[in-house]
Amino acid sequence: MARVLVGVKRVIDYAVKIRVKPDKSGVVTDGVKHSMNPFDEIAVEEAVRLKEKKIAKEVIAVSCGPAQAQETLRTALAMGADRAIHVEVSGPEYETMQPLHVAKILAKLSQDEKVDLVIVGKQAIDDDSNQTAQITAALLDWPQATFASKVEKTDAGLTVTREIDGGLEVIKTKIPAVISADLRLNEPRYATLPNIMKAKKKPMKKVAAKDLGVDLAPRIKIISVEDPPVRQAGAVVPDVDTLVSKLKEGGHI
Amino acid sequence: MLLKEFTSLFLKHTKPTRSHLTPELLLRLITADCPLWSAPANQSPFKDPFWGFYWPGGQAIARYILDSADSVNNCKILDVGCGCGAGALAAAKVNAKLVVANDIDLCALYATKLNADLNDLRVETSSVNLIGNDCNEFDAIFIGDMFYDEDFANLLFDWLIKLSKKKMVLIGDPGRHGLTDRRRNQMRLLAQYEMPKVTCKENNGFTHTTVWTLKT
Repeated sequence: MARVLVGVKRVIDYAVKIRVKPDKSGVVTDGVKHSMNPFDEIAVEEAVRLKEKKIAKEVIAVSCGPAQAQETLRTALAMGADRAIHVEVSGPEYETMQPLHVAKILAKLSQDEKVDLVIVGKQAIDDDSNQTAQITAALLDWPQATFASKVEKTDAGLTVTREIDGGLEVIKTKIPAVISADLRLNEPRYATLPNIMKAKKKPMKKVAAKDLGVDLAPRIKIISVEDPPVRQAGAVVPDVDTLVSKLKEGGHI
Repeated sequence: MLLKEFTSLFLKHTKPTRSHLTPELLLRLITADCPLWSAPANQSPFKDPFWGFYWPGGQAIARYILDSADSVNNCKILDVGCGCGAGALAAAKVNAKLVVANDIDLCALYATKLNADLNDLRVETSSVNLIGNDCNEFDAIFIGDMFYDEDFANLLFDWLIKLSKKKMVLIGDPGRHGLTDRRRNQMRLLAQYEMPKVTCKENNGFTHTTVWTLKT
């Protein structure tokens, strides 16, 4: 039976209105509600279902970041992961952390923990990078099945249905492999009180990124983060004739 | 929390249920029908109500005891980390000579007493931390679902190995992290049960629960 590693990221909650910092270096995160990246919730759910189907033996959740990453890991444990690894990355370093760094960490942990399958969300809703699964697969030299909407166990490995432009693609892959979860893969369960309480008792290991031999120096420099352009205000016209003449004026009709 | 205050909160936030592996026992638990079940942890009036749920390891031991009454007949039983008290109640139901439910959380002992009343059973309670104790007065020790974390599992296992030379040790567990292959090699499987659906929902990732004893 397989051992599954799931990557989970703490991001600004999807329902929060994002504000850009005045110096345009990024977005305001202080005092803002955070939660697990929704695509990562789908990844955790899939891993737990594999365990419930006896395809997976153990589910390990990993998150990189400052101390608050542990809250996200507890959620993964409440959803059914067996244990967690918190890769400590200090605040300033975390600000410039990129998918390449996360992928190197996931690749190293996959080898150290002897995992057979890595599942991550297809992208995080904060930076929308959509790179971690792909880079992790490349670093490990494992096959990748990205944008998965269905994962089935077959004799030789896995059959994965992928969401592609204009339809679905079905591929077969051996394991070990890396999967990225798309929106329709499953509907994640809520973490209820009995599971949250049990999650408190599950083991969480702390490890520093540098102890994994990963250099966190940024490879990409953020020049500027800007708000989307503000929509121009509309105007109210008294009647249809005025509307038609205005549209003619503007050259729209 | 005092017994009186606990009792009123307990009655408010739990429901009597037989939807578990031991329907012979009626237990007041925080069930999926209780608002608390799906409430955020910080809205719970109880601090860590581990006794509010019937853990799969405890269910396995209680089921095993009810099915093999002879194994505890005339025995003095200690249920360590008793939680809702079901293991102790199962032993009392099959007429063990003496049953002591033990938990360092007083609320667990209150819950056990209230659940005992519900079933017309009598058990003693103790809140002393007995881990490491030689437990001379007991013939059998129940350990339901306590192999969760590595450090605690180490402490627990060394103690149980010592105890197992003189008495029966029953370990109930759905396959938690602390029940490593190394430890399993020193254990003998007595029974395996499929978990009821409601129990699965409270224990994401687990589908079966087991009872083990230590090899002697």
